[in-house]
Amino acid sequence: MTNTDITQEEIQAIFPKVAATMADALGCEVEKVKPDASLIDDLGAESIDLLDIVFRLERTFKVKIPRGKIIEEARGDLAESEFDNGGDVSDAGLQRLRTFLKEVPAGRFKSPLRVADIPRLFTAETFCKIVIRQQRAAPVSGAAQGG
Amino acid sequence: MHERFRAFSFVDRITSIRPGVRIRGKYAIPSAVEAFPSSLVAEAVGQLAAWAAMSAVGFERRPFVAGLAGSIELLAPVRPGQELEMTVELESVDAEAAAAVDGSPVLRLHNCVGPMLPQEDYDDPRLLRDRFELLCGPGAAPGGFGGVPTLPLRYVGGETGQCARAQLQVPASAPFFADHFPRRPVFPGSLLMHENMQLAALLATEIPVPTDHPRWVLQTVSNLKLRAFIPPGATLELAAKVTEQSVDSAAVAVETRMGGRVGGGARVLLVPEKPS
Repeated sequence: MTNTDITQEEIQAIFPKVAATMADALGCEVEKVKPDASLIDDLGAESIDLLDIVFRLERTFKVKIPRGKIIEEARGDLAESEFDNGGDVSDAGLQRLRTFLKEVPAGRFKSPLRVADIPRLFTAETFCKIVIRQQRAAPVSGAAQGG
Repeated sequence: MHERFRAFSFVDRITSIRPGVRIRGKYAIPSAVEAFPSSLVAEAVGQLAAWAAMSAVGFERRPFVAGLAGSIELLAPVRPGQELEMTVELESVDAEAAAAVDGSPVLRLHNCVGPMLPQEDYDDPRLLRDRFELLCGPGAAPGGFGGVPTLPLRYVGGETGQCARAQLQVPASAPFFADHFPRRPVFPGSLLMHENMQLAALLATEIPVPTDHPRWVLQTVSNLKLRAFIPPGATLELAAKVTEQSVDSAAVAVETRMGGRVGGGARVLLVPEKPS
């Protein structure tokens, strides 16, 4: 499954609930959570906030989001050694990230990009997509579907 | 180390365990201590959850239990001499937990999440395995805890009934650092929670109480999030601010800063105490 088959309609259907969940976790106004807002650079999230957001999304949407899922899916069939070049994302890895995280504005992909800095790219829409993918992978009856 | 498993350890016995799923345990609050605040009850159930989580991964990692707590219901005070009966249900690393005295609930924790960190950085896995065996077997001798030192808040300003600010000096050394943690002393999040609750309680005395009610009482602590490890000797700036108020409740946001950076925060819900 890829990110490319997820429609804007699907994203817009769940975005209000995702945004509310993020605003609650970050203690900010929901209006500040825009689809293309970087959670770390624009909303001031720290790693503990990302963990908080993931758990809240799991509870809200009744899905499981394995830790490291976004990077793992972005890497696809690239071996870890082909993706991670001594702590920097390799050229091939960067290409994969650009394709997988196409909601992220192109200017945010720095080169070299540290693997540890990949979460800086994540936007609110990135999390909408992972929720949708996980809903498709394991739909649960009675799960929250949208706003 | 004399204070090891005494100074800040709140599980005497593990009465049943399904690793990574459910754990039950007991803790006898020593009669000799002056008080045992709700924050230490939360610490006790957090430690029980940590035993379940650590045993599920061969003691190679430990949860940072105070990292995130969805809500903590403060149901009833406990007294020295009472025995806590604790239960923790784990889902992945997400936990629901409760403590009771004589069958009556005194505290419930919901949606607690503890990021798992490398054990070797904090403690000796071998010692923890031995301790776990003891707790699952005959249990530890009760009464080791001698209380925590009084950590006075220095009130530094505020606006009557709206906000209060205080400074807290974390001691450079204290017995509890022997347990929390031997290889990397960290000021316990539960003690920070206690200090934050003290400041919220102080602010509560300044908020007008609804007619016929004697005072505001703390009912729930929610959205507890600890963002930083607080080392011995740190100087902390604490703030409490009323964010909502009605005749039924008042919400107070508490925040701790260390060197200008936010180290933690929570929301405290106050409700009017029922007239006796």
